[in-house]
Amino acid sequence: MSLLFTPVIGLEIHVQLATASKIFCSCSTDYIGAVPNTNVCPLCLGLPGTLPVLNAKAVEYGVRASLALNCTVRNATRFHRKNYFYPDLPKAYQISQYDLPLAEHGFINITSEDGTLRPIGITRLHLEEDAGKLVHGTSDGRLTGASQSFVDYNRGGVPLAEIVSEPDLRTPAEARQYVSVIRQLVRYLGVSDGDMEKGSLRVDANISVKCSDGRWGERAEIKNMNSLKALERALEYEIKRHIKMLSEGKIIIQETRHWNDSQGITISSRSKEEAHDYRYFPEPDLPPLVLPDGYVKEQLDKLPELPWDRKRRFKDTYGLSEQDSATLTENRDMADFYENCLISGGSPERTANWLRTEVLRVLNENKMELKDFPISSHIIAEMIVMMDNRKLSNTAAKEVFEHMIENSSDLHSAMSLCDISAGGIAGDQLRDLVSKILEQNNDVVRVIRSGEDLNGKKQKYLKGLVMRETRGQADPSEVSWILASLLENN
Amino acid sequence: MAISEQEVRKVALLARLEVDEEEVRSLAHHFDSILEHFGKLNELDLDNIDPFVMDETQTPLREDRAEKWELREDALNEASHRDGDFFRVPRIVSEEG
Amino acid sequence: MDFYRLSAHEICRKVKSGEITARETIESSLERINSLEKGLNALITRVDERALEKADRVDRMLSAGEDPGLLAGVPVVIKDNMCVQGIRTTCASRILGDWKPPFTATVVAELEKEGAIVLGKANMDEFAMGSSTEHSAFGPCSNPWDPDRVPGGSSGGSAASVAAGYAPISLGSDTGGSIRQPAAFCGTCGLKPTYGLVSRWGLVAFASSLDQIGPFARSIEDIALTLQVISKPDPRDSTCNPSKRPDYQSVLDQSSLKEKKVGIVKEFMDYDIDPEVREALEKTIEVARSEGAEIVELSLPVMVRYGLATYYIIAPAEASSNLARYDGVRYGISSEEEDLMDMYLKIRGDGFGEEVKRRILTGTYVLSSGYYDAYYLTAQKVRQIMTSEFKEAFSRVDTIIMPTAPTPAFRKGELLDDPIQMYMADVFTLPINMAGLPGLSLNAGYSRKGLPLGVQLIGPKWGEMQLLAAASVLERSFGPSLIAGGDQ
Ligand SMILES: [Mg+2]
Ligand SMILES: [Zn+2]
Repeated sequence: MSLLFTPVIGLEIHVQLATASKIFCSCSTDYIGAVPNTNVCPLCLGLPGTLPVLNAKAVEYGVRASLALNCTVRNATRFHRKNYFYPDLPKAYQISQYDLPLAEHGFINITSEDGTLRPIGITRLHLEEDAGKLVHGTSDGRLTGASQSFVDYNRGGVPLAEIVSEPDLRTPAEARQYVSVIRQLVRYLGVSDGDMEKGSLRVDANISVKCSDGRWGERAEIKNMNSLKALERALEYEIKRHIKMLSEGKIIIQETRHWNDSQGITISSRSKEEAHDYRYFPEPDLPPLVLPDGYVKEQLDKLPELPWDRKRRFKDTYGLSEQDSATLTENRDMADFYENCLISGGSPERTANWLRTEVLRVLNENKMELKDFPISSHIIAEMIVMMDNRKLSNTAAKEVFEHMIENSSDLHSAMSLCDISAGGIAGDQLRDLVSKILEQNNDVVRVIRSGEDLNGKKQKYLKGLVMRETRGQADPSEVSWILASLLENN
Repeated sequence: MAISEQEVRKVALLARLEVDEEEVRSLAHHFDSILEHFGKLNELDLDNIDPFVMDETQTPLREDRAEKWELREDALNEASHRDGDFFRVPRIVSEEG
Repeated sequence: MDFYRLSAHEICRKVKSGEITARETIESSLERINSLEKGLNALITRVDERALEKADRVDRMLSAGEDPGLLAGVPVVIKDNMCVQGIRTTCASRILGDWKPPFTATVVAELEKEGAIVLGKANMDEFAMGSSTEHSAFGPCSNPWDPDRVPGGSSGGSAASVAAGYAPISLGSDTGGSIRQPAAFCGTCGLKPTYGLVSRWGLVAFASSLDQIGPFARSIEDIALTLQVISKPDPRDSTCNPSKRPDYQSVLDQSSLKEKKVGIVKEFMDYDIDPEVREALEKTIEVARSEGAEIVELSLPVMVRYGLATYYIIAPAEASSNLARYDGVRYGISSEEEDLMDMYLKIRGDGFGEEVKRRILTGTYVLSSGYYDAYYLTAQKVRQIMTSEFKEAFSRVDTIIMPTAPTPAFRKGELLDDPIQMYMADVFTLPINMAGLPGLSLNAGYSRKGLPLGVQLIGPKWGEMQLLAAASVLERSFGPSLIAGGDQ
């Protein structure tokens, strides 16, 4: 009789909202690479006498994310103070939301391993301020003091949306998928860059394991997972740890643990002080946040088409494969680029192929974002149209494409520099060229006509010669067709 | 309602206030009299009272525009332990927070 | 000449007409301060040089034909919990050290914009916690009418400054009576405006939902003028009302109490108050009646019985959070501790005085898990009842008259060892903060020992106009406040 163990996982995701200024003051949120303590003011340094004023954009982004997560947005909500002492928290309280969060009761679908959609409950989404950053003594040289840490408040006050899931996740892979769906969503909405490495999307996991004999281990909270991979590994490690403890009849204590990525283990972060008592109470410096009539509806109307809807539409409308639809809707820029190509006349399938292979390859090779891609959707579409109209072969198009990437030149100069003419070689011109090749390869022609080219190898060889001669400017199917008809005649 | 000296010490730690033994005694005494006073509030029937009114005022919203504050040098200079661009604090060992 | 005796109105008029210069006014004030400050200790920080420079600037503006504003050349004293850029702000605490704020409170900026000249920062109870200005790291402030007595608090220095003639106006802050009670003790007018009328940007917070800045002056006219200047909407304070303010000065001369209903609180009429305070109150009611007011008896049982307990839960709760930021990291006194926890304990243990510690601990306690519902939440509910009790009362009357404090100024040290008794000094004022209403203390005469006796007028929310109107009618009978210092 062997015991069965079911992991129960819930995630708390902190998403930095992509506003220009902080949530309660006008300091810039652009702290990556900034000189420490430059994006600060009396408010975000916690100076006495300062008061918070809420950023309208943070509310807008929070509402937008809430709606996309199918949450119910509260018309009247308020902020609370979460009190605790820590040097990265200059007021010694974090302004957050507590009993009346901005939004509640949502869900988001993930795709299970068997391919079916599974809804994951969203408990709540609330707004809060980020803390500053602590730098501990490093090899920096200047920061070598063994007994000191250093505080940079640039990040303090950057708006966060905290998204709390229900404990609906069962496997590390599901957790990973859930996070990547949330990340894709916030990027689609334009409310965050969702970058885990940069820390603009941070995940804490609550995990416990249920045993088939009825025992249920206490929950552990895991922090410090800075990538999807780290999340998956940390959860795998933790599940194994819980199962081992339960199997050995040991008691799991409720605690916070830190993921150590280099060692591949979680470590208990024992706090030497007494347990936290955050003493939440309503923030008296901020009256309730009341959304005006029609505000939520307006935000709902402003929502872009969500990635999963767009994927379905790409499949249904453009007849793309599951894989192509997924690839092209992975991010909003690519999906927009694709549809812009179609608007400029590109055919759905060839455009999809071209983007998936050529464009994505160039982006990956150069670690480039689509917004920095040197060729516009209009030009890509123009090439596709020429290919669609058999005026440009795939090979020629690739040559021109490479030329444009390398030299950032426009389509027509690229074509003329590659010595490729729009319209390519076709019709009588192509027929004359094929005749010439046949004359030059009389021996091969004879073999074919005598019926000895059983597997068509020799005919393919001739076609290759033609293609080489046309430098890809001929439509391969037209070449085959002309070749076939010339070989038959006579 | 009496409050023990132990409880006073606990609350003082939570509030990060160093208190000596004499202060603990006098604070415990103070708490006793003030809590007795607070106890009066239980005489009232508060069952249907909403503790926080939500409809009186509403918070204004600020336009999302970043501005640079020019006096960060002055602010850093007010710190008793400035270290270059940083505020310096005792080394933090545990990774919690 | 004794320019220090002039009202803000008179100074402004004379400076603008060229009869006197702003510099002469300031010099007269500084002389007055020089002669009395040793005994009074009303100021924590003086800025004589800065004041004279600002005065010269006003004078230069006038000779250039420019208008320096509504308070041209008027000296003002600012309670030391309001930030003025570059001037030490201490809140009468050790913990802030020599902190010089890098920004200026909105109210001070508005005063200076109108040509007012800051003389210095006034003594107070540490972080505005107290009713006597004895809880100051810079020593107690004295009452100008009797140096052995307290000036009241926590804005004792601001009240004493105006009573002693340092300046015709000053600013204080009032969380539970900290403007009105010292105004009564020092025999000046003091107004605590409706919560949200005056910006709190730059006011070091004590209890955010109760704190309000207001003026002291020796006449209602000067109170109205100062209120006009400091009460503008401020986008930096989310709790500050954004609507345009009325012209507070317009109601002063034509006002009478005819057809007005003045409320008196039944429960307070048999409260344990000093006989001379009671006499002053009864005299005030008589004046109101003779001015045509109908006197209406009101019952405010919850406020009377539960106000104090409610206040001493809510105010410390907010204070415990507001005062958590003082950790010696970014400003204020320093510590050499090598452990984070030790640093917090040391800085805060050494930096805060006894009364502040008491309140931080009370506040931490009532918010801590297990006690939040029993104390903090309960108090908030009672606060709602008190608010509706007042709302109902103001559907029946225009103004309520009650004592400002149960006694005249008490002796220094008298209540220091009895915090609860000290808290009782605010029993008539703190319910007004709980309900967010405007309250004004007016001098209604003097005791046989020569101590000022104050009465308090309460108005409905945003009712500053009718409050000032009623006060100016009463003032006509009582006369403007006198300057203390034995030269009447
Ligand atoms: Mg959070
Ligand atoms: Zn800031």
